[in-house]
Amino acid sequence: MIEKEKLRKYAKLLMFDMKEEEYETLQEEFNIILKQMDLIAKIPNIEKVKPMTFPFINEDAKLREDIVGDYLTTGEVLANTKQQVDDQVKIPKVVE
Amino acid sequence: MYRGLNITQLRDKIDNEGISPEEIFESTNKLAHQLQDEYNSFVTIIDKFKMKTTNKTLLSGICYGLKDNISTSNILTTSSSNILKDYIPVYDATVYKKLKNAGAVLVGKTVLDELAMGGTGTTAHTGIVRNPWDKNRMIGGSSAGSASAVALGIVPFAIGSDTGDSIRKPASFGGVVGFKPTYGRISRYGLFAFASSLDHIGTLTRNVHDAAAVVDIIKGLDPNDMTTLKDDNKNYVSSLENDIKGKKLFYIKEICDKKLYQDSNDEVMLKILDEFHKMLDKLRNQGFIIEEVSIDKQLLEALYPTYMSISCAEATSNNANLTGIQFGPRNDGSSYQEIMMKDRTLGFSELIKRRFILGSFILQKENQEKLFLNACRIRRLIVDKINELFKDYDGMILPASGSIAPKFDDSSEKLSEKYLILENHLVIGNFGGFPSITLPFTMIENMPVGINLTGRVKEDDLVLNMANYIEKVTGLSDIYSKVGDSNEV
Repeated sequence: MIEKEKLRKYAKLLMFDMKEEEYETLQEEFNIILKQMDLIAKIPNIEKVKPMTFPFINEDAKLREDIVGDYLTTGEVLANTKQQVDDQVKIPKVVE
Repeated sequence: MYRGLNITQLRDKIDNEGISPEEIFESTNKLAHQLQDEYNSFVTIIDKFKMKTTNKTLLSGICYGLKDNISTSNILTTSSSNILKDYIPVYDATVYKKLKNAGAVLVGKTVLDELAMGGTGTTAHTGIVRNPWDKNRMIGGSSAGSASAVALGIVPFAIGSDTGDSIRKPASFGGVVGFKPTYGRISRYGLFAFASSLDHIGTLTRNVHDAAAVVDIIKGLDPNDMTTLKDDNKNYVSSLENDIKGKKLFYIKEICDKKLYQDSNDEVMLKILDEFHKMLDKLRNQGFIIEEVSIDKQLLEALYPTYMSISCAEATSNNANLTGIQFGPRNDGSSYQEIMMKDRTLGFSELIKRRFILGSFILQKENQEKLFLNACRIRRLIVDKINELFKDYDGMILPASGSIAPKFDDSSEKLSEKYLILENHLVIGNFGGFPSITLPFTMIENMPVGINLTGRVKEDDLVLNMANYIEKVTGLSDIYSKVGDSNEV
C-alpha cells in the first residue's frame, strides 16, 4: 500500500495540490494498478524483452535540412500571456 | 433540412441541386445551437460561414466538427480543460489546414474528456456530453462531442483523436463509424499531445465511404511531424469495392467465447456476444474466412495496466508545459512557483491530477524498471503476437465493447476482472499503430453496438475495403438519432 504522504510529495513535485478525499481515491487506484503491474512482472523472461517505445520503425523519418522554416513572431508567442514587458513574459521577481 | 445527410448526398445537393454551401452551413449552425443545451457536443459553435474556394474537392462546402484539442488559429481551443479555457492558438494544426484547403467548412470545436484523458465524455470543463440515442447515457470518450455531433446528424463527419480507444469506443456507443488509420498516416502537428507514442488522429462518420473520403484528404507526410509516413498515393475511396472473397479474419477466443462468461448475469453482454457470432456467420457467407485464435490470457489481462503505465507516464511529461504562464488563466502569486501551483491546482480536474501522479510515480528512477519498462516490454510482446497472426490473417475482428453505452449512474467496472479484456482490447490498435475501425453492427435495447476491425500497419485501404463489406451486411450505414426533429418517430 502506498502512503498518502508519498502521493502528496508527488503532487507537490508536479506543482498542484488535491483535496484529502481525492488522495484517498488515488490511493485505491494505485493499489489496483500496482497489483496488476506485479502480475506483469511475473511473466516469464519479461526482463529479456526489448522495451517498445514506438509502434514501429518509420523508415520515412529522417532529419530535415537545417534551414529556417515557419516560425512564430514574438507577438504571436506572447499573445496568450497575461503580462508582458519589453517583448518578454513578466513574472514576479526571482532574485530578491 | 440537411440533417443526417452523408458526404455523397450533400455533394449532390451542392453540385446538382444548386444548394449553396452557405445555406447548408446556416441550417447546420441552427441545428447545432438547437441541440447544444441538451447534448453539449460543442465547446465553440462557429457562427460565421468561412470557406476556401481555391480547390474543388469531395469536401468542398461540406460542414464538419473538429475536436477541441486540435489547434485552430484565432479560434478558442480549450482541450475541454480549465487550464486552457481562454487559449486562442496562433497556428493551425496540419489536419485543420488540409481540411480548410480542401474547402471543408468548420461548424464547431467539439467537447472532449479533459485533455483527451478519460472514456466517458463527462469530464469536460463545459459539462457532460449526452448520448443522442438516450440522453440518460454516456456517449463515451474522449472524442465525445465529435461522436455526438455525427450521431445527432448535425455534421456528416468530425475529427477526433484516439490514444486508447477514444474514437472507436464512442463510435460504438453512438452508432457511428470511428476510424483510426495507421500511426503516422495523419499528421499530429497541432494536436495537443496526450501520449505521443499512442496518439492518433482519425474520423467519425456515418458510413465507411465517408471515413475513406476524409482520410484521403487529410493523410500524408508532414515535415512538422517526423512520425508521419510517406503518402501511400492510394485513393481509399476507390479501393472500397475491391473483392474481399477469401480475406481471412481472426477473433480472440479469450474475449469472445461465451463459455468464459457462463456465470455472468449480464444479459446485454451475452446478447452482444450472440449477435457478434451471428454476424461472423453472415460475413462467412459473404466470402470472409473467419477463425478463432487463442492468445495467452496473461498477456491480454496486461493490456489495461500496460496502457495506464505508458499513457500516464507520457502524459505527465507532455503536459508539463501547462503552467498558466505562457497561456491559460494566470492567478496571482508572489513567485512563479506560487502562480504555477495555483494555476495547476485550479486548472486540472481530479482525474487529470490522479493520472499525472501515477505517471510521475511510474517514471521515478526506482520504479522505472518494474513499472514503465515492463509495460513497454508487454507492449512489444502483444504487438509481436498480433503481427505474427497478421502473417496468416488480413485482420482481427472483435466486438468493440461488451456493453451498450453506460448510464451516467453506472459505476465503472473497467478495472474489474470480468471486463478487463473485453473493455480494453482496443488499445492493441494503439500499441502497434494498426489501422482500426469501429462500425455499428446491431441494436440492443434500442442502443447501437459496434464491431471493430483492425488490420496490418499501412494497409488502411484494405481495412476500409473490408469494413465497407461488413457495413453492407450489417445494413446499419447512415443511422443517426432524429431526436429534436419535428418529424421524429
